[in-house]
Amino acid sequence: MKVTFNFGSFLSARSVAGDTIVELGQKYNTVWALTADTGGALKEYKKLFRDRYIDTGVAEQNLAGIAAGLALEGNIPFIFGMIPFMVMRACEQNRTAICYQDLPVRFIGTGGGLTSGGGSTHNAMEDISIMKSLVNMTVLSIGDPNMVRDIMLLSMTYPHPLYLRLAQGKQDRMLYEPGKFEYKIGMGLTAREGRDATIIAHGEMVFEALEAANSLAADGIDVRVVDMYSIKPVDKDLAVKAVKETKNILVLEDHLMEGGLASTLADVFADGGVYPKKFKRLGIPQVYAGFGSGEELRAKYGYDKTAAAAAIKNMLK
Amino acid sequence: MADPKEVKRLKALAYEMRKKLINLCGNYDGIVHIGGDLSMTDLLIGLYHHGMKVDPRDIKSPTRDRFLLSKGHGAVCMYIAMSLRGYFDYNEIVRTYGQLDSAYGMHPCKIQLPGVECSTGSLGQGLAVAAGLAFSAKQKKEKHRVFCMMGDGETCEGEVWEAANTAGSYKLGNLIGVVDRNKQLMTSFDGDYMNLEPYAAKWRAFNWNVVELDGHDMTQIVDALDNLPPATNEKPTVLIASTVKGKGVKFMEHDLGWHAGALSKADMDKAMAEIEAGYAGERSSG
Repeated sequence: MKVTFNFGSFLSARSVAGDTIVELGQKYNTVWALTADTGGALKEYKKLFRDRYIDTGVAEQNLAGIAAGLALEGNIPFIFGMIPFMVMRACEQNRTAICYQDLPVRFIGTGGGLTSGGGSTHNAMEDISIMKSLVNMTVLSIGDPNMVRDIMLLSMTYPHPLYLRLAQGKQDRMLYEPGKFEYKIGMGLTAREGRDATIIAHGEMVFEALEAANSLAADGIDVRVVDMYSIKPVDKDLAVKAVKETKNILVLEDHLMEGGLASTLADVFADGGVYPKKFKRLGIPQVYAGFGSGEELRAKYGYDKTAAAAAIKNMLK
Repeated sequence: MADPKEVKRLKALAYEMRKKLINLCGNYDGIVHIGGDLSMTDLLIGLYHHGMKVDPRDIKSPTRDRFLLSKGHGAVCMYIAMSLRGYFDYNEIVRTYGQLDSAYGMHPCKIQLPGVECSTGSLGQGLAVAAGLAFSAKQKKEKHRVFCMMGDGETCEGEVWEAANTAGSYKLGNLIGVVDRNKQLMTSFDGDYMNLEPYAAKWRAFNWNVVELDGHDMTQIVDALDNLPPATNEKPTVLIASTVKGKGVKFMEHDLGWHAGALSKADMDKAMAEIEAGYAGERSSG
């Protein structure tokens, strides 16, 4: 797909994933696309590669097992689905059939955080916590839709299970010009330089963090924004550098405040003896969030750009 | 019809295997899932020593038949069947079974024990993974079969029927399910709480080719394996093998206490004598 890069404009991450799986299917005869009745992005792929496409109907556990079997035979299966069912319904299959055997299955999940619009059954607030606890699993959270392609390409040489958390997947903000950064598992990137504080975010919250940083700049506050797209393994060096250079850390994420990136970073800082002057986390509290758009729910639960800007101001008092 | 000489050879192997199971169980300081081991002994001998195209000297051969033990708690039974085929050293299994860093654990681990196709132990997961292997083989037009041994108890799991539905829908004729239908779960008999019947009808309803047999009759086992439809068949096949948990040791048969257990020296001697007497009786009668 031809992309005219325009910062902040929308592109569907799902369609990028759909285009990329076609590209991979053409290049590698070991690539399979699997879905449990959520293959909307796979229209082109299934036309071209009918014999490497499996739709099990609504049966996520079975799908995870089939993916394990395909991977045991040297294939690279990509599972496409909605996060809560891919991660939670099939949790034990993901652990025992896939992670225990350290198989290169890729999970492409849409509807990260409270972006699904479907209410609490369809929201994904626990997924990072669950997936990062699985031994051998790698956890990435991606906001910028074009990044999805780069990550899917690099995953072809990655020999372990890999979870790619996308945000809503339908309308995602473009943040980086394609080709500008080289993405790597275990690395984050500095999306904006700054000296007074750092917002560390992942997924669609990176855009919120950049917006907050822009609004704070008008008040003379210089905020760094780190896109920590690799949550497990996490980029410890980049996080520690942010502590050393900006002292104040705000973690902003569309996930339960317990168990997500904030918890990972708290571990990194405590274990490493690296102490931010101030450390605060904003994200989903212990609630089933209910109905509304992602934007509305972020505002309601106090982890949008406005809340982030206020938290930074409060930190710097 | 099965060659009587071949049946005789396999029966002798099954006899040896039962003795080896009892010996391991009696010498291991812990519990062994002996009931379900004895119920699938004849089936595993039939598979590893007759029905499956496998070569212990070439465990990665792309043309080998694949075997998944979905009832992973029967691992030791599989280890011994494989050792009799030349994969492993039986004495090493007995010496290290269940010990720290042993390759031979209660549930089979592919990473620790090459030759095992898939790590299993969580019940109900094997058939979906086996379907994945079958999908891959079918897509690559490979000729081998994928065998998946299940306990009937684990077929209470929903994932089994999700996988059965998929395999039937996608016409995975290279997938062969084998059910050790011993009509006992861990803590109850079939029918006490859960009714598995009508069992064969359930598989048929999912578009499977069903073969019912006596899982302790070696002639029937050989016939079932020899007459499997080709891997290109339009339907997957399930062999529903009627068995007895604890088969060959009277005090274990039909006793829920012997799902898993430890054998005292006296019980081991008694069990061994029964197995020997049973085999001697079988040889004199036929």
